[in-house]
Amino acid sequence: MKTIEKAKLDSLFAQLAQNYSLLVPVDYNGLTQFAPYSQVQEGVSQLYLDGNVTVSPKTAYLPQSEAMYKFRAQGKKLAIEEMAGLDKQQVLFGVRHCDTKAIQCLDKVFLDEKFEDPQYKNKREQNIVFSLACNNPKATCFCESMGLDRAHAEASVADVQVYDFGDSFGFEAISDKGKACLDKLTGLGETASKLPDQKPQTLKFDVAGLPEKLKDMFEDPIWDEYSFKCLNCGTCSYICPTCHCFDINNKIRGEVGVKLRTWDSCMFNEYTLMAGGHQPRAGKKERVRNRFLHKLQYFNEKHDMSLCVGCGRCVAKCPVNVDITKFIRQVIG
Amino acid sequence: MSNNSVENFEPKILVFACNWCTYAGADLAGTSRLQYPPNVRVLRVPCSCRVNPQFVIRAFQRGIDGVLVAGCHPGDCHYTTGNYYTRRRFLLITRMMEYMGIDPKRFHTRWISGAEGPKFQQVVTEMIEEVKAIGPNDKLRDDMKVEVKAVETNE
Amino acid sequence: MSDIQSEMRATAKQLLESGEATVVIGWEKGTMPYNSTPVMIRSAADVDKLIWDEYCQQNLSTYLIDFIYTEDKVAIFAKGCDTRAYNRLIQDKRISADKCIVIGVPCSGMKSAKAAAKLPEGAEVPMSKACKECRYPNPVVFDRKIGQDVTPWCTEKDFSDVEAIEAMDQDAKAAFWKEQYTKCIRCYACRNICPACNCTNCIFDQSASGWQSKDINASENQFYGVTRAFHVAGRCIECGQCEMVCPSDVPIMLMNKKFIKDIDTLFGAYEAGLETEGPVPLSHYEVSDPEEFM
Repeated sequence: MKTIEKAKLDSLFAQLAQNYSLLVPVDYNGLTQFAPYSQVQEGVSQLYLDGNVTVSPKTAYLPQSEAMYKFRAQGKKLAIEEMAGLDKQQVLFGVRHCDTKAIQCLDKVFLDEKFEDPQYKNKREQNIVFSLACNNPKATCFCESMGLDRAHAEASVADVQVYDFGDSFGFEAISDKGKACLDKLTGLGETASKLPDQKPQTLKFDVAGLPEKLKDMFEDPIWDEYSFKCLNCGTCSYICPTCHCFDINNKIRGEVGVKLRTWDSCMFNEYTLMAGGHQPRAGKKERVRNRFLHKLQYFNEKHDMSLCVGCGRCVAKCPVNVDITKFIRQVIG
Repeated sequence: MSNNSVENFEPKILVFACNWCTYAGADLAGTSRLQYPPNVRVLRVPCSCRVNPQFVIRAFQRGIDGVLVAGCHPGDCHYTTGNYYTRRRFLLITRMMEYMGIDPKRFHTRWISGAEGPKFQQVVTEMIEEVKAIGPNDKLRDDMKVEVKAVETNE
Repeated sequence: MSDIQSEMRATAKQLLESGEATVVIGWEKGTMPYNSTPVMIRSAADVDKLIWDEYCQQNLSTYLIDFIYTEDKVAIFAKGCDTRAYNRLIQDKRISADKCIVIGVPCSGMKSAKAAAKLPEGAEVPMSKACKECRYPNPVVFDRKIGQDVTPWCTEKDFSDVEAIEAMDQDAKAAFWKEQYTKCIRCYACRNICPACNCTNCIFDQSASGWQSKDINASENQFYGVTRAFHVAGRCIECGQCEMVCPSDVPIMLMNKKFIKDIDTLFGAYEAGLETEGPVPLSHYEVSDPEEFM
């Protein structure tokens, strides 16, 4: 395993930034998210490696607001131009295992359906993921319960596995892309040390048989109980690493415009609002139920994997503490 | 565009003019052949209190360099009380825009009656000069910087 | 605190058993020790879920809107800020008082859950900012009251943070707000938790109208911020919930407090939510208002 002392992390980033676009987890005025390393160099943000970031790295695959194509309209005539994708490979340093699993979920949606999303595919191909194993899970983390391996990142997504040895980081290539990237780096040490100790997760529960149980629970009174306090804000969906719903809008200035793909949330009124004004998911109950069932049942039925990866973001950040783990535990009984 | 260089800067000023007084005032300025620079775009509204603060922010977002909201003098409102509400709101919004970092020279509210053609001329001329001096507005701007090829002429 | 808690449970039990109320809304333990969270109790057997601790921050009055079309008679526990929110909702004619029972609970300030989440376990957690500046810790309206009134620790409105921004130059102000609103992810949690934001159909839920694009950038986000602040101007009760729920830590109250400060100086001191009658600053005018637009 290759290693680098944490004190020399800057030189590692400098090398990576030379050959690639580099995204690192940062704290930007209190909001933690992935941002270009240049922000850290300029002092706009601080590097943040203490825990997972609030806004998940899905932003590097499905940005909150993304131009799909641009156009110019003159009368009845129209010119359309595709947007250029990432022209340079992009390194994401410090993506946690839960978020690599989440990208695998997004693959199912954007690559494995009948249609391959070209923009997602471009980013998927250009991104090189350095996935960092968590030694100190937060009290809200429950990835183990959702079946994740805390020692190994999702191999179809992560390119380099990173371990935190306290004073140093250890690197192991997973994919060829990752190996090529690691080979370019100089000044790395070599060690055969064993994996670091990982503190156990405190939030643990059994999820066996959950999708089957939920199948018969569409009309269960449990939904009233869990939806009552929901505010129908979009916090959970926007910080969730697997929520991928989007809306398509125009942004037009005079003759020219862009087609925008922006995040949307199933908690919002407009999400299911139909032409003519009918609202099939009128209230909190219908919306919370849809979100939970999509995470825990529907996605399982379609893709044979859970759409909840146990990152714990919604548990930590929901303004009113609508807790999906409590819900799962109550359903499992 | 010439708009981006400060020397040749021709500001865009948006005037929200109330139908009953200021629009008539602007009209009077025109029929009296009073000269003022052509940088203003007049948008007629039924009453100055129709002007929602969002209109002002949207104007700045889309590249307007200065906004003037103008209506009847208090007491003269066609709808009796509309401009009293305008006054309350815009006392607050003027301060809020300044708080957001918009130069107070870029945003004014004025009472201009239908008989005050010269006042309309004077207010907009002064405003244009002031905004010219401080340059284009880049705050709150929501530009869309895309280059799109020209439409081909043969279909 | 525990006395209040047991009295809360007893009151809830009595209300539900006697049929005076069909629903009681209070707080229960959340996932973490610092997230006490709203709970709806329908059966007297469940009253032991109710708790009262230093994290019962959530304003419960907004939930009353959910019951306007039901047959329920709803009892809520209400701190000073919750009762001001209740008054506001009555004044906006969003709820009707005869369907509600307000059980006032004097509050000695809640701790900041956001700070607690960042601090190690056992550390001293500071009071949240809005609570530090609270001037009405005691319920201003109630049908019943639990516990003893506390002495308010603040008598004057504190605008020092607003003044600090006002003192900046134009470019610094613009840069400050741009930086803050770059963080906003437009989840609308601030709007949805706000007792003043109680419109049935919000301008920000009508993207087809063209007012607010779903595009996310500092300009669009500031449009959202200023517009929302203006829509609650004169109606904000300074409960600070907007800031507490913001996942991005945008200082939303700085904007609300700016309007409060200006309303006070221009139109005379006003406290939202103390009464249910009388004019609201922006829905009325005085002929003698300051004149700056001559």
